[in-house]
Amino acid sequence: MVQLTLPKNSKIKPTGKHFPAPAGASKVRTFKIYRYDPDSGENPRWDTYDVDTAQCGPMVLDILIHIKNTVDPTLTFRRSCREGICGSCAMNIDGRNALACIQGHEECSGAKVSISPLPHMPVVKDLVPDLTLFYAQYASVEPWLHTETPEPQKEWKQSPQDREKLDGLYECILCACCSTSCPSYWWNQEKYLGPAALLHAYRWIIDSRDEATGERLDELEDPFKLYRCHTIMNCTQVCPKGLNPAKAIAEIKKMLVERVV
Amino acid sequence: MAAYEFIDHKFDVVVVGAGGSGLRAALGCAQAGLKTACVTKVFPTRSHTVAAQGGISASLGNMGEDDWRWHMYDTVKGSDWLGDQDAIEYLCRNAPAAVYELEHWGVPFSRTADGKIYQRAFGGMTKNYGEAPIQRTCAAADRTGHAMLHTMYGQSLAHETEFFIEYFALDLIMDDGVCRGVTAWKLDDGTLHRFQAQLVILATGGYGRAYFSATSAHTCTGDGGGMALRAGLPLQDMEFVQFHPTGIYGSGCLITEGARGEGGYLTNSEGERFMERYAPTVKDLAPRDMVSRAMTMEIREGRGVGPKKDHIFLHLDHLDPKILHERLPGISESAKIFAGVDVTKEPIPVLPTVHYNMGGIPTNFYSEVVTKAGKDPDKVVPGLMAVGEAACVSVHGANRLGSNSLIDLVVFGRSAALRAADTVKAGATQPELKPAMTDGHLARLDRFRNAGGGVSTAALRLEMQMAMQEDAAVYRTSDALASGVKRMEAVNARRPDLKVTDRSMIWNSDLMETLELDNLIGQAVVTVVGAHNRTESRGAHAHEDFPERNDKTWMKHTLAWFDDKTGKVKIDYRPVHDYTMTDEIAPFPPKARVY
Amino acid sequence: MSYRTPLSQARGLGSAKHGVGHWLSERVAAIALVPLVLWGAYSVILLARMDYYEAASWIAEPLNATLMILTIFVATTHMISGVRVVIEDYVYSNLSKAAALLLNLFIGWLAGALAIFSILKVALGGA
Repeated sequence: MVQLTLPKNSKIKPTGKHFPAPAGASKVRTFKIYRYDPDSGENPRWDTYDVDTAQCGPMVLDILIHIKNTVDPTLTFRRSCREGICGSCAMNIDGRNALACIQGHEECSGAKVSISPLPHMPVVKDLVPDLTLFYAQYASVEPWLHTETPEPQKEWKQSPQDREKLDGLYECILCACCSTSCPSYWWNQEKYLGPAALLHAYRWIIDSRDEATGERLDELEDPFKLYRCHTIMNCTQVCPKGLNPAKAIAEIKKMLVERVV
Repeated sequence: MAAYEFIDHKFDVVVVGAGGSGLRAALGCAQAGLKTACVTKVFPTRSHTVAAQGGISASLGNMGEDDWRWHMYDTVKGSDWLGDQDAIEYLCRNAPAAVYELEHWGVPFSRTADGKIYQRAFGGMTKNYGEAPIQRTCAAADRTGHAMLHTMYGQSLAHETEFFIEYFALDLIMDDGVCRGVTAWKLDDGTLHRFQAQLVILATGGYGRAYFSATSAHTCTGDGGGMALRAGLPLQDMEFVQFHPTGIYGSGCLITEGARGEGGYLTNSEGERFMERYAPTVKDLAPRDMVSRAMTMEIREGRGVGPKKDHIFLHLDHLDPKILHERLPGISESAKIFAGVDVTKEPIPVLPTVHYNMGGIPTNFYSEVVTKAGKDPDKVVPGLMAVGEAACVSVHGANRLGSNSLIDLVVFGRSAALRAADTVKAGATQPELKPAMTDGHLARLDRFRNAGGGVSTAALRLEMQMAMQEDAAVYRTSDALASGVKRMEAVNARRPDLKVTDRSMIWNSDLMETLELDNLIGQAVVTVVGAHNRTESRGAHAHEDFPERNDKTWMKHTLAWFDDKTGKVKIDYRPVHDYTMTDEIAPFPPKARVY
Repeated sequence: MSYRTPLSQARGLGSAKHGVGHWLSERVAAIALVPLVLWGAYSVILLARMDYYEAASWIAEPLNATLMILTIFVATTHMISGVRVVIEDYVYSNLSKAAALLLNLFIGWLAGALAIFSILKVALGGA
């Protein structure tokens, strides 16, 4: 049966460390952060940090960097561009998947803001999940242009209308917020491709320059790879770039029907 | 020292870095039948190329007549005649083919009504040798770098490049002046790896994070430059640091120059479009160094906006919201998130922000790393190449034109691969590596891993960033630069006193940031020393005590070596290539740079 | 611990190259059930007011019997196909999954067939 409770070695210890705010702090907010140290062999724990938010920028990433720089250098998380385009700092913030760099902490409603790794993925350390399978699923949809017609001397022509069909798709940053928010992906990630990979699959299916539409659809027509999507819509709810993977998946399903009806 | 063991790998080519240039080079090498590895500290699509917005320049002529010679002229002039003209010719000639290649791989370029690649205007890009602005910059809305990087990563999945993702490169394996490979630390399991190769291609990007406020990502720490310095190689023209005119005030996030290319303009506190005074012909589409200086001057003279009168407004509110949505959706979103501004109604508060390093590891236009040996200023370092922002070919000279960096990535990534195909024999026998070649790498890693001094990585990094920000800014003076040299010497002297808290080998980001800081410090030192040394003004190096360009003394590249032990910098020079690659075009002789 | 490459894991057993039929039939059945269930509800209300003989003769009407059988048939296919998806979602091990799927099929059709037989008996048996 599906595992509804955490495995033994992932159960979170109730008591972690507490880091009080420095004396004279003016705007204190408490952040409850998931910590897992692979070297210790111990179960993960929640550490709490009372942060003087007057000393930090507005985003959750600013808080994390502030903690790492001044309170606890062992806190581990991925980050790079800090402007919402690289997709490194995806994590679960206040119960919702988001990019820490563009998620203002004041938008979080919890009295204590909880921060944990993307749900239902193996954790390497603290807020760093292992995304190997997620990336492999992306690779498995062959995310490159397939053509057989000899390439023209210049560009393949594409009308602005056909180009517009790629809007809302090509902007995906592979942050994995969508896939790891999808219950269907939680239960069946080894067989279901998940919203991100399917969104990319559709990005190439709908590209007017691509010549492998049929083969791409063939590869997707599968009770698990595609049809585990039950239109739960979490993917669209959480996408930090405002994309709509659920719609992309629905479009694939529509095209499959189009082929037979 | 704890016992460390290497896991060995053998390749024909190892590319370090998986941004635009690294992916292009790796792809080309794999296509040429060479066994190729790409080692990268972040997942490829998280490399900073992803953040490039405006576009990629190439004289396709889709929006009206264009010519690669005009592009070349603009680039030479943009570089303030410090660019090597043979390399610039190579770049501009090969640019259109490189863009078509990207398109054939699937980059979702915006389109013209007749289905061609859309091109927009960009700073310093002109027609007919400086007559008027031209639309030369090929764009995928304002997410061109993102579109390119994702497409190139997809393309390399279709070819046989082996990726080593989240491996942090430590040092170059040098053997009597020949590069034999690179060592790396695998973050997710803490193992150490020795990549042996006939050829190492450094594609590690810039070191923008040496400054406090930069459009660069946190990961832009110029690790390749740091490795080159430790390998005893010089870096070139490091004093030329580009400030992008339009970083969002406060956060430093980038607002593309394409915003001005689409019709945006800058105003001061009097609502004046002041660029008309500084560059009457091209106005807001002047090159970045000039716009940044103009903005700084306006602020200095009390015409800055905001309560502190310390920034400038960028207006897009006069543009059709439909155009904004279609061509500038990304920056509209960024302006909302980071400045709380609705671009259809309000101006964006902006400030010149560190953006790009014209300097880097010196190479020729085959992308081979060169150094100066005796009288030979072009001595090739066997087994080592550099591409992209990490390299200094030099096509950007003293100032890069906007959208010339993306084309630099793919043209020279490709040139590196072509050269590799010519010079490397697939599967050739490689000499055995000796422990002595890598003992230093391990010692350095171990020293930092167990560093128990008095200053945290974050604190020392901040000290460096403030020194650079304050003393090597848009405008420089002898006094400020002397102070910068002193402050950086002090920062450098505190390196042995660093303190690392995390002792783990698995995803120890505390240690990684320390190693990155170590890479940054060397480059920051040579930057400020180089700037202090160059007593003229040229391109991005605006020296108030020497406000004129001095071609007689200074039309030459600075080479700077950094002694990691003593912190001493040695400076020498290479001549600028004031000749072209072919005789089909004559070099452009230096003249006054007015727009 | 598996040493399979990530790509091999992601590709798994490859595409079954079917699924659209199942997806489509579920939707077709759902659409068919809208009028059928409305009619079913109406007929239940009607039947509740009748005595045994009235009810039997009402069911014996050809249109009523046909619609009733159709309702049961379509509802049974729809139920089996829906429960199948739930089982596929939540049951992992091949053995228990196979068992659950078979059980679903058998119990579902047993119930459906019983209901259809009963209707036929009433409709054709002349009470």
